Amino acid sequence: MSPKTDNPSLQVNLGSLKLKNPVIAASGTFGYGEEYSGIIPLEALGGIVTKGLSLEPRQGNPPPRLAETPAGMLNAIGLENVGLEIFLQEKLPFLRKARCPVLVNIFGSTVEEYAELAKRLSAVDGIAGLEVNISCPNVKAGGAIFAAEPKTVYKVISKIRRATSSFLMVKLSPNVADIGKIALAAEEAGADAVSLINTLTGLAIDVQTRTPVLGNVTGGLSGPAIKPIGLRMVWQAAQVVRIPVVGIGGIVTAKDALEYLIAGATAIQVGTAHFIDPRAGLKIIDGIQRYLQANNFPDVASLVGSLKIKKDTGQPT
Amino acid sequence: MKPKPIKEVKARIQQHRRVGVDYFRLRLLCPEIARLAQPGQFVMLRVSDSSDPLLRRPFSFFRIFPPQTKKRKRPEDEGALEICYQVVGRGTSRMTQLREGERLDVLGPLGKGFWPEEGRSLAILIGGGIGVAPLVAWAEQLRREQGKKKRFSKTSGNLKEVLVLIGGKSRDKIPGIREFMRMGLEPQIATEDGSLGFQGLATDLLERELVTQGHKSAALYSCGPLPMLARVAQITDQFDLPCQVLLESRMACGVGACLGCAVKVRDRTLRGALEDEDARAQGAAVHLEDRCGEEMAGSWREGLAPIIAEPPAFFRYVRACKEGPVFEARDILWE
Repeated sequence: MSPKTDNPSLQVNLGSLKLKNPVIAASGTFGYGEEYSGIIPLEALGGIVTKGLSLEPRQGNPPPRLAETPAGMLNAIGLENVGLEIFLQEKLPFLRKARCPVLVNIFGSTVEEYAELAKRLSAVDGIAGLEVNISCPNVKAGGAIFAAEPKTVYKVISKIRRATSSFLMVKLSPNVADIGKIALAAEEAGADAVSLINTLTGLAIDVQTRTPVLGNVTGGLSGPAIKPIGLRMVWQAAQVVRIPVVGIGGIVTAKDALEYLIAGATAIQVGTAHFIDPRAGLKIIDGIQRYLQANNFPDVASLVGSLKIKKDTGQPT
Repeated sequence: MKPKPIKEVKARIQQHRRVGVDYFRLRLLCPEIARLAQPGQFVMLRVSDSSDPLLRRPFSFFRIFPPQTKKRKRPEDEGALEICYQVVGRGTSRMTQLREGERLDVLGPLGKGFWPEEGRSLAILIGGGIGVAPLVAWAEQLRREQGKKKRFSKTSGNLKEVLVLIGGKSRDKIPGIREFMRMGLEPQIATEDGSLGFQGLATDLLERELVTQGHKSAALYSCGPLPMLARVAQITDQFDLPCQVLLESRMACGVGACLGCAVKVRDRTLRGALEDEDARAQGAAVHLEDRCGEEMAGSWREGLAPIIAEPPAFFRYVRACKEGPVFEARDILWE
């Protein structure tokens, strides 16, 4: 272990993308940044991922769109968003001034739409990179259909890679059989990083009416309930890819974030927790720093993937 | 457009009282929010530190006590908010255990509250059940404005009268009766079981008023169960009166980020919506392809040319927490 550091560095490198700390606000939970700007200093975060963006505006799913579940929530927003044009005209100018790296989450219903979005977004200033959403469980097109098979992941990501030289992170779905193979396909197609997990498909039922609680019938489960699954999948993915893995799923406290870092995540995203506590991300940054100090880590990187496992146990399945 | 300030504070519970079988009142000392709060707006309360129940709960203001600069005789003069809640689920059950003196995490004020309708001489407040609660705060403000009116008034115009029509399943399911009385307002009351006042619905009272009294210069402000609001919207449409409704909605964040609290609204003018910079700035989604909905098909069925007759009622989703929770009744698509 390195000598004791009073001021450990929180900086992390996601390949070519340098972040001042490993805590990123997750897509779909932080709007376009401005929603939280009156409450917390955005510049304190490592980065922001904006609400999933498509070429054309999308209206989203019929309400109810939310259901609270034990230690979690289901959502079926349906990727409602303002579309590329309005994003560029009305949302990006604010984000440019936010002094915080902005990753734009993108999705399309065809491979060509993904590539077109990537191309047009790389031509504008103020965007640090793209997060490609191939894993939304709540829409038929542009959703999980791309994320389920290594072959389709490779196809869509390599097409996007040819369309842009921007930093490219691929957000993966947990609703797959072998996360390692999917992550590997993203890496081989030229992704700079993978982020996981997106929500798990779930269902909530009202027994009085015997109807689904959500207008869309099924929704995506997020929150503390999914943390063990996220951790397991990050750990599995981190063992097969060389590109950085960004951990997502039920991170509420610094302890949760540390678990992800130890499992192999280079950075983490905070999602649902921001609904409950807009300061969750800031508290996590603070908590990571204190942990590094107390345990004599000079930087975050020396903690990443430091999970100790006895030989012949717990091999990835 | 500069965002409205939102505060997150640990507010001390000044008072917490049961006021009916499953109705409670919670008064929170939080000058930062009380200073900014408007009737019809709301706060998100974190009712538990654990992850179950996970989400904050939204509550509109029952009473607002703005901080007093001079005479501070009562504790609430420091600046306080009072909410009135009904126990309906796990979040509110958990809330009943909160004790006076404890601190509670409060986020607010949030959303768009009631606004005074210009040039109307009568304000009719109509509420049902727990939905009466935010009307108490609004009545208080209207009365204050009326008091100030003699000097000068920008907002209340020529408001002369406030009429309150409230209802509930039974007499103990209607909050705020005493508060209205204290303001010098004598609410007309309807109960479904006849335990107090007229036996029937608050909307029956409204119809009776409008039919017998005319009230051509009235503006309506309403909150209550969805079927009641839909009926109020229908009645006010018939009598061609402006009507604002406060809609309850499930929400996760309260600040416009999660898009969970979608409300389906009429979008009469397509071009208008596209050009409306404000609507866009607020993130109101406009989706052309999905616009040709049932309403248009319906007007064809009736043999009306949709272009000449009423413009087709295209819809869009807006956020209850940001564009609402108070809406114009005629904008809502009641389904």
